[in-house]
Amino acid sequence: MNFFIQIIVSGLTFGAMYALAAVGLALVWGAFNMLNMAHGIIMTLGAYFVLVWAEGWGLPLWLAGPFAFLAGGLFGAGVYFVSAHWMLRQRNFEVTIIIATFGLGMALEAGLMKILREWFHASPYAQPLSMGADSFLINDVPVSYQRLIIWAVAVVLIALVALFLTRTTMGRAIRATAQNRDAARLMGVKVKRVYVIVLALASALAGVAGIMLSSFKDVVPLMGQTPMLKAFIVIVLAGLGNMAGALYAALLIGMVEAAVKVLVADKWGFLAMLVVVVIAIIWRPAGLFGKHQIARQ
Amino acid sequence: MKTRDYVFFVILLALAAAFPFMGVPRYIIASTLLLFCYATVVSQWNLVFGIAGIFSLAQLAIFAFGAYSTALMGRYLDWSLWPTFPIAGAAGVIFSIFIGLACLRMRGIYVALLTLAISQTMFVLIQTDSDCSELNKAINPSTCVAFTGGPQGLGDFGTFGWREVLGGRNWMMGDYYSMLGLLIVALVFTAAMTQSRIGLAFKALRDNEELATSRGVSVFKYQLIVFAASAFLTAMAGAFYAAHFGSVGTNLVSFPLLLFLISMLVVGGIGRNWGPLLGAGLLMVADEFFKEFSDLRNIGLGLVVLLFMIFLPEGVAGAIESVCKRLQRLALVQHIERRLTAALRRDSAAPD
Repeated sequence: MNFFIQIIVSGLTFGAMYALAAVGLALVWGAFNMLNMAHGIIMTLGAYFVLVWAEGWGLPLWLAGPFAFLAGGLFGAGVYFVSAHWMLRQRNFEVTIIIATFGLGMALEAGLMKILREWFHASPYAQPLSMGADSFLINDVPVSYQRLIIWAVAVVLIALVALFLTRTTMGRAIRATAQNRDAARLMGVKVKRVYVIVLALASALAGVAGIMLSSFKDVVPLMGQTPMLKAFIVIVLAGLGNMAGALYAALLIGMVEAAVKVLVADKWGFLAMLVVVVIAIIWRPAGLFGKHQIARQ
Repeated sequence: MKTRDYVFFVILLALAAAFPFMGVPRYIIASTLLLFCYATVVSQWNLVFGIAGIFSLAQLAIFAFGAYSTALMGRYLDWSLWPTFPIAGAAGVIFSIFIGLACLRMRGIYVALLTLAISQTMFVLIQTDSDCSELNKAINPSTCVAFTGGPQGLGDFGTFGWREVLGGRNWMMGDYYSMLGLLIVALVFTAAMTQSRIGLAFKALRDNEELATSRGVSVFKYQLIVFAASAFLTAMAGAFYAAHFGSVGTNLVSFPLLLFLISMLVVGGIGRNWGPLLGAGLLMVADEFFKEFSDLRNIGLGLVVLLFMIFLPEGVAGAIESVCKRLQRLALVQHIERRLTAALRRDSAAPD
């Protein structure tokens, strides 16, 4: 019974973090078929932003979260203007943008490592926004307050994104672009503005996801890599571009990872996810929740 | 491939064969043979990506798979490395068939994501492998080494063995010509593959997919064949890499090496005949020149990849091709103009 609670508690936490990272990826893919390989480094930057904000500049910690969100957004817009903006007309944009953003991400990562080696001498740092290990018990299973905060933040942010997409004009423009780019453009939607906003929003969420990730493990330069790949696995499982699906798939993948971690060992988690996704895709080529996007050729 | 290409190929070959006798320093020989190794991998990747249109990022995983296969066989079975090379190649083929069966029925973008995830899984599994292995205890009971060596990597499994044959001064030559031999096999294989029925099938698929598939050309079948076949030489290149350095580590499946190989592919030109050689050559030369700035290396490589994808997605080989084509067209236009003006002059001079 206890290990069951343990799986649920830790699965929900993983799920919440992956959801924040994956919903943004799904949004961007839906809007203009771009997969951003610099997503991972943006998560890392979010975590480091808090560190610089609190330790470097000594600014009030409670403001760090919102500003990390904004910084992530600005960064995402920057990624758009140095890569995708110039490549929209390319014939196989889907493929070339992956390679281009992979290069950009690696350059940023190397640059970050270089700067950080000068600013922070020892590499791993504790996340200042973490509550530490304080916890309460559910049936003898310790649940840290940190997890409660992560769940709350993830739920609030995803609810806000959902409200933004359904209740605002810009949100409607984004959904229109995702449904049919040409029709949206003909109706007067400025699709390029949609692309920038979508990428900024996704990156802002990634920045927050990065803070969450680093509150469990330390802040290290390569921390975003594996979570980014897990977020990619989540959106493949959901069916590319399906945002609600990405949410459920993130929880599912989080549970799978937690179950493997509790019952077997931490290191098999990634392999288990991969197996789940491959089986799911063979069984349902459009993804678990996909309707339109067909994964098969 | 035209006659000109073959002539050029033979000249390059002769140059490469004579290179060690031109009095170049030893470290240049060492990095040239590494260039041959990477060019082999990139040529096979180009076959997979550029010719067969499979956006696979697992090439590096297959390369590492070959390297680790040879290392494990050499260490735990105590074999000489030469018989392990074809076995490592075959192991790579089997590995790639598994990957192919899992991924290749899907659209390009899914293939990219899943193959990248597979590479990362391999990285994570080796990196976290820390239990002392029983096999290692049988060899050396006093140390604790994980089966795959874990994050420290694995050594002590032997080398090509040229040191025993050629002596301490010339063993590098043995490694050099072994690697060159592998590259030649890879290039001949690539050329044969592009001109075979399989190459034609992909050409047909590119030209008119509906017609080709309705005539019975199966994308999945041919893609799986190319994917598996190219894995043999990729894994062999990994095995040769392991045999040259005498050690393997997780850097073989890491993002920085993936970036280096991608930049070769991209700079050379994806899907171009000369792309892999050109890209590998340019990148290795650049790497040699900017050695002092090695902490800026990945920044530079990343930006090069980004800029090429934006401004020159066809790569250097593609750019040269299009310049040649433009010059040819210009020459043709001038030729026609000259003939026309001559004809007009003749007409006007002739009495009605």
